[in-house]
Amino acid sequence: MSTQVPPRPAEDERRGALRGTIDGIRRTELSTSQKLMIFVLSMSLFGLSNIILEIIPDPSIGPVDVSVSYMVFVPLTVAALFSPFWAALGAPLGEIVFTDLLMGDFSGLAEVEGFLQMFLAVFIAGSLVRNPRSRVQIAIASVVLVLVDKVLSAVVDLSKVWIGVEDAELVEGLPQSMLALETIGLGVDVIMSGVLLGAIPAMWLIPALHGKIEPLMGMRPRVPGEPIPGAAPRTPLFVGGALLLSVASFGFAFLEAFDISAGAFEPDFIDRFGSGFLLVAVAAIAVVLTVAVLLFRLSRRAAETAGS
Amino acid sequence: MARTTHDVLSVEWVRLELLRTAYSTRGGLFSRMDPRVVLAWYLLMALAPWFTHSTGVLALLFALGAVSVALARVGPLVLGLFLIGLLGNVVGLFAASFLFGGDLGTLVALAELNLKLGAVSMASMAAFVSLDPEKLSDALLWFRAPELLAFGVSYGYRMLPILVDEYVTVFEGQRLRHAPVERPGLLGWRVILQWCTLAVTAFYPIMLNTAKNVRTTVEALETRGFTYAAANPVGRRLRLASLRTAGLDWVVLVVSVVAVLAAYRLGALLPL
Repeated sequence: MSTQVPPRPAEDERRGALRGTIDGIRRTELSTSQKLMIFVLSMSLFGLSNIILEIIPDPSIGPVDVSVSYMVFVPLTVAALFSPFWAALGAPLGEIVFTDLLMGDFSGLAEVEGFLQMFLAVFIAGSLVRNPRSRVQIAIASVVLVLVDKVLSAVVDLSKVWIGVEDAELVEGLPQSMLALETIGLGVDVIMSGVLLGAIPAMWLIPALHGKIEPLMGMRPRVPGEPIPGAAPRTPLFVGGALLLSVASFGFAFLEAFDISAGAFEPDFIDRFGSGFLLVAVAAIAVVLTVAVLLFRLSRRAAETAGS
Repeated sequence: MARTTHDVLSVEWVRLELLRTAYSTRGGLFSRMDPRVVLAWYLLMALAPWFTHSTGVLALLFALGAVSVALARVGPLVLGLFLIGLLGNVVGLFAASFLFGGDLGTLVALAELNLKLGAVSMASMAAFVSLDPEKLSDALLWFRAPELLAFGVSYGYRMLPILVDEYVTVFEGQRLRHAPVERPGLLGWRVILQWCTLAVTAFYPIMLNTAKNVRTTVEALETRGFTYAAANPVGRRLRLASLRTAGLDWVVLVVSVVAVLAAYRLGALLPL
């Protein structure tokens, strides 16, 4: 991609799917430093927006939190204007580094699932925007982003209570109230994060920045109908599938551990400790290793494309 | 290093407190240790509560977490946020299950979960408050974490104060150029709406500024061969040469392991 800015297309003019090099000079492939730029931009902006939300007090009506959980329009803007994949990789890392580590909110392995949920959400939503000037696509994408993230996290939350509390079904009212809380929470999140601080700002911000922010980073603005930059056709699907599987395996690991330790409640300490400990530890390590290897491969691939 | 003033709860105080946290200027036990050992210690303390359902063991592990928070000298902001979150969680869930016909038994069941989560997050506070960005990213590199992660950590910690400063400047500038609302309306909703609009519109210049900053940073990094140096074994060895473990590291690690094992043994005997 060169720094040259083509004349602005008229609203919604489609140019058809362009493949490979554009007019022989410009490429749709991103270079290594461009990928790094998108990654860093998405990371710092999303981290900043999280810090701002951290300072604002969270109002809550009874047990239901009506606060905004994140500013959806920030990662969506980067994903829609540059590249969904690298924006999706950067945004959750920004959240972890800026807020969770700094505010002491870091929850270890739970951060891995948070990272995966946010990655999938931003990547899917960003890929939905084929034309950064179409307000309808932007609105749909921001609601989808919140839905993907929150539904995944609700499932994980519910299973966590199931596992964390030994006999959840024996405690009266707990499962029902958790389910009700999660459902109400999902609705509130879609309205607050997805629409009020998602779709509405994004519908204004993305078209306003389109064509202005790209030259600052040395890139050419996206043209409607072009293949998504930096999204190799097979790899994201593969990675997404693998990540989904690892989320699932995470849940399964804990479920299994729950069954075993609930079954054996004798004072026979070593036995209980041995089986439960080994199973969970091995499963957790396997999941973390898989994710680490995947991420490592990705950064390798980034380096390779630069070399070629 | 002693810190004296924390009288007013303002945005400026929050920002300064974040900086103190990020650069671990408060001292404390873990900031004198090798970052790799601190990460290993954290893994131990974060995983230990997940392998038991006994309230006694969890209470002991919670106490262990509290001791390590005290040893790490965690600041009031981080500690306050943690306490508010934990208490809010307990009260909220209890109120909800009360509506669905639960009783005090629910509170006991919830105590188990919250002791667990509390112990884990206290360990993370103690560990990450004590690590400054450079140490943390070196330790991550040593554990062969992806280079992007290690880079993100050290970059994020450095850029955060600058970004927040810039945002506050833009936001205040916008606010100065706007007339205050004529009538506040019910519960001042017009004031709140104006604040929210300003907070969002401030992102337009911030995004353009950050894009420029990021380009400069990345170009400077690539000129020095960032992507290649991180993958090159010689460069990696050079960067990690400063990491050393001393006697203190091993003492702390061994004491923690013994304490966790003791908690498992003694907790089962507690009448909880």
